[in-house]
Amino acid sequence: MNLHHIMKKEVISADPTMPVYKAIELMDKNRIRHLPIIDENSYLIGIISDRDLRDVKPSIFENNNEKFHNLPVSKVMITDVITAMPDDFVEEAAHTMIENKISCLPVETDVKLEGIISETDLLHTLVRLTGANLPTSRLEVEVPNETGKLAEVSSIISDHQLNIQSALVYQSFETNEKKILVFRIQSLNMRPLLNTLKKKRYEVIWPVDLEMKV
Amino acid sequence: MKEEAAFIFSPEQLKYKFHQDHPFNQDRLSITNDLLFKIGALNPSTIIPARMATLDELLLVHDEDYVQAVVGASEGQFRSSYRTTYGIGTEDTPVFPQMHDAAAWLVGGTLEAVDQVFTNGYKHALNLGGGLHHGFRGKASGFCIYNDSSVAIEYIRKKYDARVLYIDTDAHHGDGVQWAFYNDPDVCTLSFHESGRFLFPGTGHVNERGHGEGLGYSFNVPFEAFTEDESWLLAYKAAIREVIAYFKPDVILTQNGADAHYYDPLTHLCGTMKMFQEIPKIAHELAHEYCDGKWIAVGGGGYDIWRVVPRAWSHLWLEMTEQTDKTFQSIPSSWISQWEKEAPVKLPEEWHDSEGIYPDIPRQKEIIEKNERMLLKALKPIFDKQNIYKNS
Repeated sequence: MNLHHIMKKEVISADPTMPVYKAIELMDKNRIRHLPIIDENSYLIGIISDRDLRDVKPSIFENNNEKFHNLPVSKVMITDVITAMPDDFVEEAAHTMIENKISCLPVETDVKLEGIISETDLLHTLVRLTGANLPTSRLEVEVPNETGKLAEVSSIISDHQLNIQSALVYQSFETNEKKILVFRIQSLNMRPLLNTLKKKRYEVIWPVDLEMKV
Repeated sequence: MKEEAAFIFSPEQLKYKFHQDHPFNQDRLSITNDLLFKIGALNPSTIIPARMATLDELLLVHDEDYVQAVVGASEGQFRSSYRTTYGIGTEDTPVFPQMHDAAAWLVGGTLEAVDQVFTNGYKHALNLGGGLHHGFRGKASGFCIYNDSSVAIEYIRKKYDARVLYIDTDAHHGDGVQWAFYNDPDVCTLSFHESGRFLFPGTGHVNERGHGEGLGYSFNVPFEAFTEDESWLLAYKAAIREVIAYFKPDVILTQNGADAHYYDPLTHLCGTMKMFQEIPKIAHELAHEYCDGKWIAVGGGGYDIWRVVPRAWSHLWLEMTEQTDKTFQSIPSSWISQWEKEAPVKLPEEWHDSEGIYPDIPRQKEIIEKNERMLLKALKPIFDKQNIYKNS
């Protein structure tokens, strides 16, 4: 999954001459916290965030507020913008945002603004990756941390002619001897599959069976 | 006394059968009908036959290419797109001969129920063959080919211009109906189900509230796994009263899946017969209070066809026809002897489940608390609106 799959392509942006008060209005109206600044060629030349504005805003006890509000955004914008490219992987972008403690990334090709992603877009992506947005049943299996376990379990699923909508693999939180496999499977009836897994002595964590291991 | 309720059934509805081992088994209709006959709650001569929904009726909701694919598959054609694009020929909804006809008969039953209420003067009507709430506009899903409730709701909108409250108490989220009317402010959907974290189809989150003009007309109350009667019913009663007072429908359509029972093999809730007695009771009361009695009920899921479905659906019909006193007696032995040879489990002798059919649930307190929080979240938009009125 690359950024061009998940980024917003219709970016709300401002030109450098826009006065600060207008930029604030624009951000409030669209409920966004970051505003890329682009020149007449759509080149990204800076960005302002609601936090940056708060930082440079004069105290209400001073009376130069009006002067500030009429400043062009070019005077307050940040110019060393951290950006990403459309073909970057989603996880790279998430990593960049964590590293730099930022909550949005403009996406550009040759300085031309092509899109933007925010933390919210990454959360939507998380939901999508877990497959929870499609009609599915959830299966969670704990397996030894050894080669071939994912293949084993998925071939059992395949033997039952069931389609896997998504699969996640991660290390157990308790021990590094184990891995957790989470599948979202396109079926309402999981019983035949569960019986096979049980017969083959897999550790099924979810669904819990009717003996009520609560 | 004029009969207030219509019972819709046709033997053609029994032909909705994927294969011998498939959990969706319409024999439950025959077993339920027989129980109602034997307690004298239903007279075979008063049953109103279902009908087969026409293509035009199916197209009220379903996409033409999808219906064509179902017709094609029924006639033995096969294309790989059937499985991937249309969800036909999967493990959940395998192809079977004449599947289009059988599915269209289930839809027709619900349409017949609608007409009985809107034009033939019945207050209520029941089509236990319906309730296939997972069917999408263009895709089969979760045992459902055509979505009878979606088609019936659109039919009500077009033909009778009535606003519909759809209430779904199946253990699975009523996703097909919800998505079909997600943008529609004249159809309100309210689904009670086991949380999508645990159970198919995974949706039905409390934040799914509708979209565009339909925003605010979709409600979801997801329950924790192992939820028991009391906690379930508390949320049901509170939510249904708030939502109906807020939406003020002209008619109620209830989907009465019987799979939230502890015995159900596909779900993880801990309902007992008490739940299936209370569900229709409240729906019945509110139909009279808000809709001049207009109440259409359909079946739905229910995979313990011996111990759960016949009793649960009988409770529904007995409530609809005000014959609940029939449950003061035991289940007739003639019904038990009729079916016990086929049943792999011991058939119930009483109308209610005794205490302790399942072991104590250690996390019970936490489950109750989580469900209460979820209920408040589900109803928050209504409460917020009420506060605005109060303050202005």
